[in-house]
Amino acid sequence: MTEAVLHRWFDCTGAFSHPFTRWVVFASGALIVLSPLVFLILDRAGRLTPELRADLFSRWKSWIWIAVAVISPILMGAGWVVGGVVVLSLLCYREFARATGMFREKLIGLAVVLGILLATFAVVDNYPRLFFASAALTVGVIAIVTIPQDRPKGYLQRVGLGVLGFILFGYSFAYIGLITEDARYREILLLMLLAVELNDIFAYCTGRVIGKRKLVPQTSPGKTVGGAVGALVLTSFLVILLGRFVIYPGTPMARWWCLLILGPGISILGQLGDLLLSSIKRDLGIKDIGTTLPGHGGLLDRFDSLVLVPPACYHFHSLVLGPLGDGQLERIFTGP
Amino acid sequence: MDPWEFKPAGDIGLKGMARLRSYQRETGLTASLARGAWWWLTRGYFRLWHRLEIHGLAHLPAAPPFVLAANHASHLDALALMAALPFAWRDAVFPIAAKDVFFENHGVAAFGAFFVNALPIWRKSARAHEMLNLRHRLIDPPSVFILFPEGTRTRDGAPGQFQAGIGRLVAGSDAQVVPCFIEGTFEAAPPGRCLPQPRKIRITIGRVLEFRQLPDQRESWDEIARQVRTAVLALGPAHGAIHPRNETRKKT
Repeated sequence: MTEAVLHRWFDCTGAFSHPFTRWVVFASGALIVLSPLVFLILDRAGRLTPELRADLFSRWKSWIWIAVAVISPILMGAGWVVGGVVVLSLLCYREFARATGMFREKLIGLAVVLGILLATFAVVDNYPRLFFASAALTVGVIAIVTIPQDRPKGYLQRVGLGVLGFILFGYSFAYIGLITEDARYREILLLMLLAVELNDIFAYCTGRVIGKRKLVPQTSPGKTVGGAVGALVLTSFLVILLGRFVIYPGTPMARWWCLLILGPGISILGQLGDLLLSSIKRDLGIKDIGTTLPGHGGLLDRFDSLVLVPPACYHFHSLVLGPLGDGQLERIFTGP
Repeated sequence: MDPWEFKPAGDIGLKGMARLRSYQRETGLTASLARGAWWWLTRGYFRLWHRLEIHGLAHLPAAPPFVLAANHASHLDALALMAALPFAWRDAVFPIAAKDVFFENHGVAAFGAFFVNALPIWRKSARAHEMLNLRHRLIDPPSVFILFPEGTRTRDGAPGQFQAGIGRLVAGSDAQVVPCFIEGTFEAAPPGRCLPQPRKIRITIGRVLEFRQLPDQRESWDEIARQVRTAVLALGPAHGAIHPRNETRKKT
């Protein structure tokens, strides 16, 4: 293992070298500190019921954990990001499996866990071909692993759910680790995460102001066409602005057409990820998919918008900038 | 094997102690692996330290649901019975444990729930709906309950009276009762002793009892408790009438 690899994985001395990283950390810290003050002012003014007050503080506490768990690994190094993503993937798959009943299929669960570990190993090894192969290999294993049990009844359902769970919460999230192979991974990841989270907030706020017509009322009664369009416009504007003047200046990604694809792309995929999880929950007849985060529900209730974004983000950056991580040592463990 | 069922975990939405105590608790791959490791560990421990002997394994039903009812002399009893049952059933076997002892502390409850797979019962005042929930849990999904109908460990080595609770679990249902006699655990780790002595432990499993024909009412519960006690004591060394020690031992 070379010095450069160790530096990329664990060195945090350059964490704040880019102004965007400093801004995001400062803004997150400020929001965490100021939010309870705003709640207290609203409470003193009699604008909060006891239930709403308790809910707001519960959500605020969860946000502290989320902010620390998401931002710290990005600042500390690529190795920490990859480690965090594995934990997130396993916990999200666990929630999905418990909600759908897939947890009763232990062999498929084992295949999914091994698939997630294989994709992660490919990321750690910097072996992109193995990473892309891991999807097909894992899907194949999921499809055959229960055949010896001689239970054809329910085969399509359990294999379909196993594949869906692996691709959405294992493979898709593993792309976050793949992005860390690029030298500018901190800025790219923070932009992606910031845009996805703000996209939700923009949709909620604009929906409250201009949202009249329901978007897909059977799937998600709270979402409106106005909210979706508002989020699309505001998130695109944010990504274009930050991309053009803060994150990508001097690179091919700073071109208008690139940003005009990236911004709306993140917004649309973020909203579709949200609706995807809503569809799963409506089909199952449950409100929240888990109980991990007080005030939010499960991890998937919080990270649903992120599900579809990382693969698109990785491949679009690779398309425009060339293969991410080009020039880095490949096949760190498996190489000759 | 049961067909695939498209339904969420029974305990979804519960967390912390509520989940650990729930009769609807269902666990997945991680807990199954933990229980597998625990089974091998306890099996090895009982084989080596207590020279565990198991007789009458052939009397076990082919598949759950059933209640394994035994005399109770030590905290080792439930662990010894779990180690005696087939590895493949590890996720379907639920020792019924005193809520006031094993489900008051988070650490003990988590260990009991995930490694031992214990379900709680409030011994002093098991309410009707609790017993009804346990009864449903025994059948769906089909499970094995390890139950000590005396309700507490013997203090002098002699088996006590059996409580009617076992009757409430099985009266009028398809669930069978498998009587079982445990010898040696009182000598190895009686109440009050922390470290078990290396005494031999012998488990004798008897023939299945069925109470499908009895109505689910008070008189039947008492009758079932009486019949089960008789069947359990008949397997003990003092009786020897139905002692199947010489039967062929089945490898698990």
